[in-house]
Amino acid sequence: MQIQQKYNPLNLLVYLVLIIMLLFTLMPIVFMVTASMMTKNQILRMPFKWIPEGFNSINFTRAIVGLDGNYIYLRNILNSLIVSVSVAVSTVLLGSLTGYGLAKFRFKGRNFIFIMIMATMMIPFEAIMIPLYMVVMKLRIQNTYVGLILPFLVSAFGIFQMRQYLTTFPTEFLDAARVDGKSELGIYWQIVLPNAKPVMATLSIMAFRSQWDNLLWPLLVSQSEKMKTIPQYITAFAAERNTDEGAMMAAALIASIPMFVLFMSLTKYFIGGSAVYESRKG
Amino acid sequence: MASKPYRGIEKKQARWGFAFVVPALVFFSVFNFYPILNAFYTSFYDRRALSKLKPKFVGLGNYVRLFDPARAESQLSFYNSLKATLTFTLGTFIPLLVVSLILAIFISNLNSNKAKRFLQISYYTPAILSSVIAATIWMLIFDPRGLGNQWMNLLLNTPGVDHKWKTDPMMLQISTMLVYFWKYIGYFVILFITGLATIPPTIYEAATIDGANKTQTFWRITLPLLKPTVVLVSIMAMLQCLKTFSTQYMFYTNGSTRAPINVITFNIYITGIQDQYLGRASAMSVVLFVLMLVLTLVQFRTTKSGENIDY
Repeated sequence: MQIQQKYNPLNLLVYLVLIIMLLFTLMPIVFMVTASMMTKNQILRMPFKWIPEGFNSINFTRAIVGLDGNYIYLRNILNSLIVSVSVAVSTVLLGSLTGYGLAKFRFKGRNFIFIMIMATMMIPFEAIMIPLYMVVMKLRIQNTYVGLILPFLVSAFGIFQMRQYLTTFPTEFLDAARVDGKSELGIYWQIVLPNAKPVMATLSIMAFRSQWDNLLWPLLVSQSEKMKTIPQYITAFAAERNTDEGAMMAAALIASIPMFVLFMSLTKYFIGGSAVYESRKG
Repeated sequence: MASKPYRGIEKKQARWGFAFVVPALVFFSVFNFYPILNAFYTSFYDRRALSKLKPKFVGLGNYVRLFDPARAESQLSFYNSLKATLTFTLGTFIPLLVVSLILAIFISNLNSNKAKRFLQISYYTPAILSSVIAATIWMLIFDPRGLGNQWMNLLLNTPGVDHKWKTDPMMLQISTMLVYFWKYIGYFVILFITGLATIPPTIYEAATIDGANKTQTFWRITLPLLKPTVVLVSIMAMLQCLKTFSTQYMFYTNGSTRAPINVITFNIYITGIQDQYLGRASAMSVVLFVLMLVLTLVQFRTTKSGENIDY
């Protein structure tokens, strides 16, 4: 079998397709990296030269100093970090707390509550952003972290994941802890949470990414330069009449580096996050 | 004697369980159920932000306006938005589905585990960039002097032709689809590889012994057994595409015309936030919600039937 497969001319076609797709997916990323070190003329040169003529740091300086020279990008990066980390932490904590409550306790209306929470997955954020915007205006929390974070504190999908995971957790451990006189909150904190680490990792990465990527909600909530997030800052470059391509790519590269680092070190959980969807069937 | 205190413990436990669930319950009531009800409610009113006037009840007026045939001709009508969204969704999810399925089968059949892993990770890499960044990179590639024209001209052997990636209405639509396809292809490849891995290898062995060739195995075994995954992935991809916003927004801010890429979400944003017609935008939101609800229900039905597969 093995030898036959190796000399099959069809295999050549398979390799060709796989390599072409590899070029298609990776070339734009390589382009971002090289373009961030080039001048405008070099970026749009025909034909394009892939190897930059030395490292040109001016784009990075311009990306950080900003169009108005007020270093607002650093503040915007900080905003994105604060929002993404807060959402990740609360998604994990509230998701596990709720998931634990639904998985390991019996109380009236439990199934109804579970179904209601699952039903919220059918409400796309895009369909409720206008009413949420009105709520934000009424509460006067535009241009605040609270306004940016509040609608994303809990994720129904996160609760579902946690519940599924914790259902299989042996109840005897919990009962033993109760007999030992541990409080219910203590059991959650010291026994349940430490045992849910794989789901916690997947969920926190998912939540972090979704906020790092979020453009639509900050667009509604943050109008002041100080409270904008990374995607908004990069959008501003594209909106300029005389686009500064090099600085734009430098800004994009800076924003991507944390993601690349996370991805390299935690590949399993990134890819696990997408494979996890399969378990929704069960 | 034993039953009474036991009951007490059970009651106390039930209270704890409920207490653990309450925060999420409050959250979803305020940030999901209230807003969606509010969207329905507001969609019956002529409501403007920043206006001192009381919202005026207009009944189905907002909906009538959205689907008014007289407005269908207008470039920025909701009709046109529906069309743009549908074009984008079909134009993105069909290639995504077909290509990712093919790639997943190719990768699954590779002998080297290292190559499998390397390809999966590489194909997935674009997904870790944010949508805004993906769009900015491609906007430069689609520049008249950019790589897009250089590659196309090399491929078609037409030196010096500008393919108008960002200006021609149809090319603009294709460009946004391409960005989306690029960003999500790896994600769907991985979903399919996971699906393929659930098919027991013994079935393939049996088929080979029975003398089935590769094409037969694919059409008769792989595809039918993969059907639940295919349905699941395609509906998920469709839901994803219906919500597209960032890519279109970026192309628009970069100077492209709005009409061909005025997808529903983008239209809601412009109508509700920029033009301040909250009632009209709410009506659009309701239409989007219903559209996605129908798809989700289809998904639930199909995934339920998918569970009964016997190997």
